[in-house]
Amino acid sequence: MELIFWWMIPAALLLGAGTYWLARKREQGRQAALRPVAHGHRLTELPEYQAAVRRHRRWLTVAAIAGGVLMAAALVAAARPAGRSTISPEQRNRDIILCLDASGSMSSADAAVVEVFARLAQGFDGERLGLTVFDSSAVQVFPLTDDYDFVQEQLQAAREAFDGAPGSAGFLDGTWNGAGSSLIGDGLASCVQGFPATDGGGADGSGGSEERSRSVVLATDNFVSGEPIFTLTEAAALARKKDVRVYALNPGDFDYGTDPDQPGAELRAAAEGTGGAYYPLDSPDAVADIIRKVQSTEATAFTAAPKAVVSDRAEIPLGIALVSGLVLAGATWRLRS
Amino acid sequence: MSSLLTRVKSKMSIFAHRKARGMLDGEYGSVFKGRSLDFDDLRAYLPGDEVRDIDWKASARHGSPLIKRYVAVRRQTVLLVTDTGRNMAASSLGGEAKKDVAVMALGVVGYLAHRHGDVVGLVCGDEAESRSLPAKAGEAHLERLLRAVNDSTALTSPRSSIGEQLSYVARNFGQRMLLFVVADEVVPDAGMERVLRRLRAQHEVLWLTVRDAQLAGAGPAGLQPARTEAAGAQTAGPPADRYDVADAGLLPGRLAASDTVIRAYAAAQEQRDAARESVLRRLGIAHVQAGSSHDVMPAVFTLLERHRRGK
Repeated sequence: MELIFWWMIPAALLLGAGTYWLARKREQGRQAALRPVAHGHRLTELPEYQAAVRRHRRWLTVAAIAGGVLMAAALVAAARPAGRSTISPEQRNRDIILCLDASGSMSSADAAVVEVFARLAQGFDGERLGLTVFDSSAVQVFPLTDDYDFVQEQLQAAREAFDGAPGSAGFLDGTWNGAGSSLIGDGLASCVQGFPATDGGGADGSGGSEERSRSVVLATDNFVSGEPIFTLTEAAALARKKDVRVYALNPGDFDYGTDPDQPGAELRAAAEGTGGAYYPLDSPDAVADIIRKVQSTEATAFTAAPKAVVSDRAEIPLGIALVSGLVLAGATWRLRS
Repeated sequence: MSSLLTRVKSKMSIFAHRKARGMLDGEYGSVFKGRSLDFDDLRAYLPGDEVRDIDWKASARHGSPLIKRYVAVRRQTVLLVTDTGRNMAASSLGGEAKKDVAVMALGVVGYLAHRHGDVVGLVCGDEAESRSLPAKAGEAHLERLLRAVNDSTALTSPRSSIGEQLSYVARNFGQRMLLFVVADEVVPDAGMERVLRRLRAQHEVLWLTVRDAQLAGAGPAGLQPARTEAAGAQTAGPPADRYDVADAGLLPGRLAASDTVIRAYAAAQEQRDAARESVLRRLGIAHVQAGSSHDVMPAVFTLLERHRRGK
């Protein structure tokens, strides 16, 4: 506890003393205005009058005490009592874009991946999530947001689409506009472009974008059919340049041997090249594990510096002032009546 | 310097116009029992004259009542006795200082005496000392007496004690006189009653009480009709704060404004008035009270009337 405007107290005491002195001076002058009467004892000796005087004195005492307490409490409140405490806020300033390959080769695993994404979104607090779906062209389902209700809603729609529920086919509209199918490099590049600008004073103008970590969770089997504008390697280089980590999930790694041209090995090289990781998976149930791992590594990377917080603690003096003010009002009313 | 006596005379002339002219003189002339037997002349009857002074034969011849006048063998002496302690500087029932009412009453009686050809003296004082001014004739002397009373009464004077002045008179004056006592609302105790009885045996005594300011509530209703406008001014607005001249103690008007206090004060005052009245009646002293200088003329008239009847 400390007082921010501590000088308020000596100033108020000086002011109070001055007012008291002035009031005393004027009180002495007032005596002349009173009417002199004789035989005052004929009134003061009446028991009824003495009872009235006692009553009056009691209320005067109450009013004086209440007034004093009110002034003292108001003075303390005016001096701004404040509590100083040190907190180290847990900062979860992560931007995560879920990047989902919606090609035919992924159709068996997509629903499960979306379900894991949905569970992931439930556990988040402070992170911003985005979802981009791609096949031959990429569609941003929703940009980075921390409106988790909306995220859940969209993921639910995605799940229904991948499950083939009636009336949900429109969800994947726009992913077949390019030539070919499963253009992984283009999809990753689109996802990487989905982050706000990284340069100082970037597009969002807040300047806070640099401090946020950027991750892309790329769920794909890396089976390319067609001619992408970006190859996977080029997209990975773009991600590295933008300081985005790519976490690759491969639900169907069918590599044999150590040939670096195989799809799984290529994806691993791309992911690890950005500082991310590659997870070849045979069972979609393991996706949760991986996402948790991603989350935990990210969380340790962002611990905020301890911060001193000063907060006003005026509620107690103000409460006392309120109560004594009410008492004073009551006593004054009694004295006036 | 405005003359105190001028104020008295103007007040008297207003009153004399209201009542029959000369009536007061008739009342005053009847105060004394003592008369010489030397017939002087006849004059027309004035209301207030003794009926036994009417010369019935002369009246029958003349057609209207005539009064026998006798030669006044000696001058009567009127002694004004009053209190100049600080109580008299306090406010009266009507709101003015009590000494103003007292000066008016003393002036009226003194001037009546002067017109009657009597000499007027003064005994005044307070708790600490009493002093006397010798009885002399003349308006200048009367003015001096009134001024002495007016000037020596102040809030800084010693406390009041009319008993002191009465004992002073009893100790120092052997000659038979008319005593006109002006005091505030005192309640005579046993000692004062003894002194009064002693004085009453020797002198004619008239007593005028100046009413004190009402300490709780407005004045009692129907006490003096002449005071209504002053009382009205008093009841309007918040109750005034007062202080006691005895010890400068503050008497907040608000405290005395409650009904119970007003009732208790009124009861106590009634008791005090009754006690004073009964003591004075027992002693055969004519008594009247005045709340303001407007009340003085009718009060003095009533006083003289009462004294004549009481004889």
